[in-house]
Amino acid sequence: MESLFFEATKATPLIDFNVNKKTLVLKGQSYPENAFKFYDPVFLRIENYLSTSPAEIRVDIRLSYVNTSSSKCIMMLLEKLEEAFKRGVNVQLNWYCDMENESEVECAEEFQEDISFPFKIIPELEKGSND
Amino acid sequence: MNTLKRFSLYDKRTKWVILLACLSIAISMLLTGSLSYHIAEKAIIEKLKTKDLFFIVQSAAGKIEGRMARAKETSLMMARDPFLSDWVSTEERDPTTQKLAVEKLNRIATDYDYSNTFLASASTHTYWAEGGMVGKLSETNPQDAWFFQALQSKNPISVNIDYNKERHDTFVFINALMGNPEHPLGVTGVGLDLKDISQEFSTYRFGEIGTIWLTDHSGKIHLAANLEDRGRVLADFLPSDVCQMVLGSDTHGTDQPEIMEYTNADGELIDLVHQTLQATDWQLIIQVPRKETTGFLASILRNSILAALLVLIIVTLVFYLVSTRIANPLKQAIQLSEELERKVNERTQELTEQNIKIMDSIDYAKKVQETIIASDQELVDAFKDSFILWLPKDIVGGDFYWLRKIDTKVIVAVADCTGHGVPGALMTMAVAPILNHIVQEGYHSSPGEIITELNLRLKSAMHNKGTRITDDGLDIGICLIEGNTLVFAGAKIDLYHKSHAGVLRIQGERFSVGYLKSDVDQTFQNTLIEIGEDDFFYITTDGFLDQNGGPKDHSLGRKRFISLIEESSNLNSQEQRDYFNQALNDYRQEESQRDDITVLGFQIR
Repeated sequence: MESLFFEATKATPLIDFNVNKKTLVLKGQSYPENAFKFYDPVFLRIENYLSTSPAEIRVDIRLSYVNTSSSKCIMMLLEKLEEAFKRGVNVQLNWYCDMENESEVECAEEFQEDISFPFKIIPELEKGSND
Repeated sequence: MNTLKRFSLYDKRTKWVILLACLSIAISMLLTGSLSYHIAEKAIIEKLKTKDLFFIVQSAAGKIEGRMARAKETSLMMARDPFLSDWVSTEERDPTTQKLAVEKLNRIATDYDYSNTFLASASTHTYWAEGGMVGKLSETNPQDAWFFQALQSKNPISVNIDYNKERHDTFVFINALMGNPEHPLGVTGVGLDLKDISQEFSTYRFGEIGTIWLTDHSGKIHLAANLEDRGRVLADFLPSDVCQMVLGSDTHGTDQPEIMEYTNADGELIDLVHQTLQATDWQLIIQVPRKETTGFLASILRNSILAALLVLIIVTLVFYLVSTRIANPLKQAIQLSEELERKVNERTQELTEQNIKIMDSIDYAKKVQETIIASDQELVDAFKDSFILWLPKDIVGGDFYWLRKIDTKVIVAVADCTGHGVPGALMTMAVAPILNHIVQEGYHSSPGEIITELNLRLKSAMHNKGTRITDDGLDIGICLIEGNTLVFAGAKIDLYHKSHAGVLRIQGERFSVGYLKSDVDQTFQNTLIEIGEDDFFYITTDGFLDQNGGPKDHSLGRKRFISLIEESSNLNSQEQRDYFNQALNDYRQEESQRDDITVLGFQIR
């Protein structure tokens, strides 16, 4: 079982998948030229991890911008988590948002609608109203 | 080639530096060398003329004069000897006295180391020597002339030089008159053999080729370091003018030697000093070739040149070592950097060429993409007023807008295919024909139906291979306009309706089309809108809304977009386009464009 760590770049988020802590962190912006290529290793590790029927996984996401193809990838990732959740894995997701950034919040909310495992949208840093 | 050329230049410069340094050292060494040489030469000649030659000639003269003075004293002592005077006055007749007198002569010669002693009687003309009677002097014999001259001269003491050719020897006789000089009893004195002085001359000789002569007033050489010179005359050796100067000069009564220099027949510079011996008219002449005096300077000169050469060689070596040890790493660094620069230039050139090719290719692709995009004329024909802000991120892109007129209907669509750039553009080229087919096949009464059909056909076209790496689809918003009604359906694209009541957002479905997970049974809700006069409609892809910028680097967002619509309500379509464009640029400032951007605005009545 391997962990995974990618430094953040201007167009790709930080990816920190820690097997021991059972956490996955995505942080930054996501608009790579080839989103599928970027997220493929993440999919593989997560699939691998989830296939071992772990007790739990905690996911922390803070993405200020996700382009269309990246959002497809995030959706694919969430679907894998959804499947695992349905198999009995304790999945918890915290999506941190700057509430003043309308599109960021909308993005999070759109994902939230499709997901049945615990998915919390948490205001971060800036104060704002969740509309 | 360029590199090599620049290297040789560098080498040349190093060589020049070494050469210059060596030259300056050599020149300074030569300067100091020649300067010190000349100073030394001058000092040596000065010393030679003012001291050395004086000293030599004076000490040589002193030596001769000393011996002469002693000989004179002895001769005078003999002349005043009462015993000898008595003996001569009695015409040397007493044999006992004669024996004692001859013994006396003999004793004086041996005791005082004279060649001979003599006594000649004025009355008997008998010539007595240390060994006894020698013979009678005759007035007719020229060899005996000295005797008669001495008697007549009345000079108490005189000197007579006699050079004997046969014996190759010079004798100096001191003739002292006995008794009253007016009526002398005879002549007595000593004879000096100057051979030993001659030998001493050799020690005074200056070097190998210097000469020392003793001449009489006529210039006849009586004594010389070189024995062969004796008996010859000064004119044989010296130029006539020098000869005259030497013999003609009158240094009588002065102790000061005279110094002169002349150039001999061989062109050699000669220093000459002469002095008249005291109480005689003899000249002591010493001459020394200048090259003899300054000869040792030549060796100094030679050594200096040798040292200069040695220093030059050492300096050159040091410079060479320094340049190879210190300059070489620099050279290598320069070589390396130039090599790298050359490679970078090559790569840059290659990349530039490739970039030009790619840009040309993409520029052409743009022309191709423009064939599926609604032309300006189509927009003008279809609407009362309209504008389009189409800004692909990379020349071509995944955004496109599409328009068809069927009978009295106008179908206008704005779509955003996944990706941007060439992949996005390829998608648009696949989607547009499908859209054309759908409409041609009669789906032109319901935008929702068109989107549903598009979803279906796209999925079957794109994903029948079942690959998971590509999952492409699109967002689309379609308006069907007929008369004063507008029907809108959207897949993740909204319609904005600006009327007197304000700006209304008509949301599309939140599902994209054509993706793997897009449901084939997904329906897309039609929304019917009554078109009011001067109503304006806007459709935008997410590129405009998602553009980051502003103080917090947030996305531009829907709220701001709606504000822009409201703010531009009094502007005509072209002014609105500029307004949107300007607002976009003001917002993003230095940030690059994130995605393809399309904003379509149109007015129907």
